[in-house]
Amino acid sequence: MSQNDTNPFSAIAHLESIKQCIQCGTCSGSCPLADLMDHAPRELFALLREGAFDEVLHSNTPWFCVSCYACMVRCPREIPVTDLMYAFKEVITKQGTAPKNLKMPDMYQAFSHNIKETGKVTESQVMARYGMKHPLDALKNIPLAIKMQMRGRLELKAQKVADPKSITRLFELTEIPKDKP
Amino acid sequence: MKICFYPGCSFATSAGYKESTEAVCRKLNIELNEIPDWNCCGATVMFGENKLRATTLAARHFALVQTMGFEDLVTGCNACYATLRKAARLLDRDRELFQKTQEVLHNLGLELDRIPKVRHLLEVLMEAMPDSTSDKYKTLSVGAYYGCQLTRPDQELDKGWYPEILEHFLARIGFSVKEHSARTQCCGASHAVIYKNECQGLSHRIIREIANKGAQVITTVCPLCQFNLDQAQTQNNEPRLPVTYFTQLAGLALGLAPAELGLNKLLVSADKVLTRP
Repeated sequence: MSQNDTNPFSAIAHLESIKQCIQCGTCSGSCPLADLMDHAPRELFALLREGAFDEVLHSNTPWFCVSCYACMVRCPREIPVTDLMYAFKEVITKQGTAPKNLKMPDMYQAFSHNIKETGKVTESQVMARYGMKHPLDALKNIPLAIKMQMRGRLELKAQKVADPKSITRLFELTEIPKDKP
Repeated sequence: MKICFYPGCSFATSAGYKESTEAVCRKLNIELNEIPDWNCCGATVMFGENKLRATTLAARHFALVQTMGFEDLVTGCNACYATLRKAARLLDRDRELFQKTQEVLHNLGLELDRIPKVRHLLEVLMEAMPDSTSDKYKTLSVGAYYGCQLTRPDQELDKGWYPEILEHFLARIGFSVKEHSARTQCCGASHAVIYKNECQGLSHRIIREIANKGAQVITTVCPLCQFNLDQAQTQNNEPRLPVTYFTQLAGLALGLAPAELGLNKLLVSADKVLTRP
């Protein structure tokens, strides 16, 4: 794998804070989904500090961050770990380097698409869109969906803002211009 | 009391959160003024996609709250609460981001001058609920489950790791409270939907811990927490504890009927524990 020479993460606010990391592993030890990560947070910071940018760009770690903020309130060096995970995802999305076989980026895309089109999120619609790429996952949820339906907890019709076009416009106005190759 | 309310996308289809919130607020003379034409806050997704878009989706409500003439915005969902607060914090600290957000909103015909305080429905009911004068629920033991995002990251409402406000609230309104150590353990949040097997253990650890400490009912303050803990129990025969909303227990304490509080919508039924002699 070729190494990027320039740091693609350099524009992130608070990136400097990882220099304060003492590699104690409190973040990784507090993380509910660390087992699913290729590099738990402590390791990811070590890689980034050593300049292994490609490794970080292709890591699945930020995609398994559940935003529980456990690491962030426990870090003895007050590094905003969760905020950094969000910022990493933003860079990775922009660079298009998210692991191809990973389900979470597809889920996020389906979620975001639903907001862009309707202004709101309707769970059944997000699942339907996500299910186009991962039909097995969607099928596995059908028994649960039936139980929810029986208790009046499944909405099939899209919830919408009064003028969905205004939210689509919001998305257009906030589009980040693609980097020139 | 009048409050400006942001329901969020999961409120209406949750297991009785809407019914119980409305019933309790009616009883306490709290006027719920829903933000007209609210949109999705962006939840845990949008900040990982585009920071400006995330703050603007959230700040659209700040502009709407301003036109409604309110200073505060109240929500009952932890993810909405954390997301709106995150946006508010960023806008407060980052002048450039604030201006860019203002600009986008202006293009959509909205003006943003000030940032409202984002509060959780729990705070409102903590102030408004009267102390219990009845023994009716003194023998019903409840385990309070906070989830991750009520007190983290800013820890303003209570401690990030071992909060106690919900226990105090439940005791004050007449329930027996069981202390336990899973109060802010993560349930897997949205990951639990597609990484079912991988996240199952997270919910079970929480349910087992609460059951082991002797609670008969779990109470939550967030639709996703409720959903994850409720649905995790439909897959096996582990201890089955009904997972309620704090507003449903508040409703019972106020003498409202279970049917008015949407308690029939739980996957793990609460009938048995609530109708004991």
